[in-house]
Amino acid sequence: MKRPVYVTGSGLFCARGNSPAKVAEALWAGECSNNKHRLGEREFPYFSLPLAEGNWLSRAEQAVTGVATQLGPLPADTPMFIASSSFQIGHFEETRAKQGAPFDLPLASASFSRQVAEWMQLSGPRYNFSNACISGFSAIDAARSLISGGQIDDAIVVGLELANNSTLAGFAAMELLSRTSCQPFDARRDGLVLGEAVAAVRLSAKPGTWRITGLRTGLDAYSSTGPDPAGGPIARLAVDCLQEAKINPADIELVKLQAAGSPGTDLAEANALRQIFGNQQPLLLSLKPYLGHTLGASGITELVTLLACLTADRIPATAGFKKVDPEIALFPMVDRSTEHIQRALLNLIGFGGGLASMVIERHR
Amino acid sequence: MNYLNAVLSQQHAPDKLPAAVRTALGKPLRRAAALTQLALIGSLACLPKERRQRPTALLWQSSSGPRLETLTLLDEVCNGQAEPMPYDFLASQPAIAAAQIQPFLPGLQSATHFPLDTEGEANWLLLITLASNWLEEGRYAQVLCAHLDSWADTATGHWLTLSTEHLENSSASLHIRSTNFPAAHSDIPNFPAHLAHWLQQPTSPMLHLQSTATRTLAVEFARI
Repeated sequence: MKRPVYVTGSGLFCARGNSPAKVAEALWAGECSNNKHRLGEREFPYFSLPLAEGNWLSRAEQAVTGVATQLGPLPADTPMFIASSSFQIGHFEETRAKQGAPFDLPLASASFSRQVAEWMQLSGPRYNFSNACISGFSAIDAARSLISGGQIDDAIVVGLELANNSTLAGFAAMELLSRTSCQPFDARRDGLVLGEAVAAVRLSAKPGTWRITGLRTGLDAYSSTGPDPAGGPIARLAVDCLQEAKINPADIELVKLQAAGSPGTDLAEANALRQIFGNQQPLLLSLKPYLGHTLGASGITELVTLLACLTADRIPATAGFKKVDPEIALFPMVDRSTEHIQRALLNLIGFGGGLASMVIERHR
Repeated sequence: MNYLNAVLSQQHAPDKLPAAVRTALGKPLRRAAALTQLALIGSLACLPKERRQRPTALLWQSSSGPRLETLTLLDEVCNGQAEPMPYDFLASQPAIAAAQIQPFLPGLQSATHFPLDTEGEANWLLLITLASNWLEEGRYAQVLCAHLDSWADTATGHWLTLSTEHLENSSASLHIRSTNFPAAHSDIPNFPAHLAHWLQQPTSPMLHLQSTATRTLAVEFARI
């Protein structure tokens, strides 16, 4: 990396609130309630945005403009990097239902990004990323590379995942969803609980509180729907990331887990953690019991949330973890902590084989 | 310095794609979406066998995205009483392509999909800039950059292979410039076809690629 890249601003709208500080406060208070999303005759727990019912576009506008307000004034030509796994499919569902017949999709598959930029009053270059659950880190990876390379000085990276039936139905059809709750690393875990969120970070060459010192994306082609249970590819990628950050595993004080309560992926991540950290495991934290799995937005949503918690020195416990799975045999944090964390590793393990790891370091 | 080691444009009738995959692999690829098939055919055409083990990144953009698969999924979700067929959902997720390609391209370490938001525009400038940065850092030995589209009547793939190695078949060197070039080529989906034409019949010593959205950044190609 030719020059360091910092996180200098953030915005967040998710099930737990409409600012990073409010979300951190809610997590510290242990708030992890969710609501339900009905799909045919089945009902699934779901982390919805606290917005009044309305049409899809109007909810999207409220969420995006809310996050834009939190970011504060931005030069209109700031490059924008937008991550989502579903973009505007919820709007398509509404349109399809209204028309009662098939309709023509826009010719450009991510055309919704133009609307997002307009809502955020940004007219600079836009780049879109759809890499399933690692979309957010793919977008940060690209923005960081351009800033570090001196091609741009600042970037806004947005993660966006809003309610739709297509994604929920797809995961439901593959029996990947929990009918109860998100229980990361727990012996009784039985699947994912999805959620919606809009989150954004401002990245800059100018110093901020947190610096991204390592970021790598990778691939685990074991299966389209789950990683190698032995965790080898996840561990190798994380080690690459630590090497980029020029640190050793022992320098990591906390890991923000992917852990979404998925029987297979949680096990693979645990096996990877054992390969990386051995018997000296750092603090392990999953945020998904509070936020849900926000898929393409999860990378940025969880980064913003984690930074808010760490900046306040208030690390929540991992809700939903009670009973140790002997096969996993790792313990996420069950008590809150006020530890002052200097360095953390963030893991993402994506549907479709995508992997991503990031190291963040407190700069001041 | 980075080099352009392959420039390729492909077009297939959608119903001929499986046969093209069979020819490339010597066997059929089961349950692969059209974009996955296009990605596989193109990446194997760009990389000779002896280079498929080398650390590789795939950066691919698409205007159409998985359009037909998305329409099928919407039909099932909006019309059907039951949940969609798992395969229809999987086929609507472009990220899955990488997992299906890696067994045939063992060096593939990372893949990123860039859906485009404006018809007729592309992100070649971004893809080549990222590729150049990552090659210079030593993150990969080679980067495949592509634009893939799957429409009802045609499937197209445009490809560039970049590497830090000057190979026998390298056709140009490339540099990232922070300058505005008024005569630069615009960033459009079939840019590789124009680049290939310029390489064969150069009208100027260098060709520049620039995006209307980023006037201070350009890629400069110089023929070897």
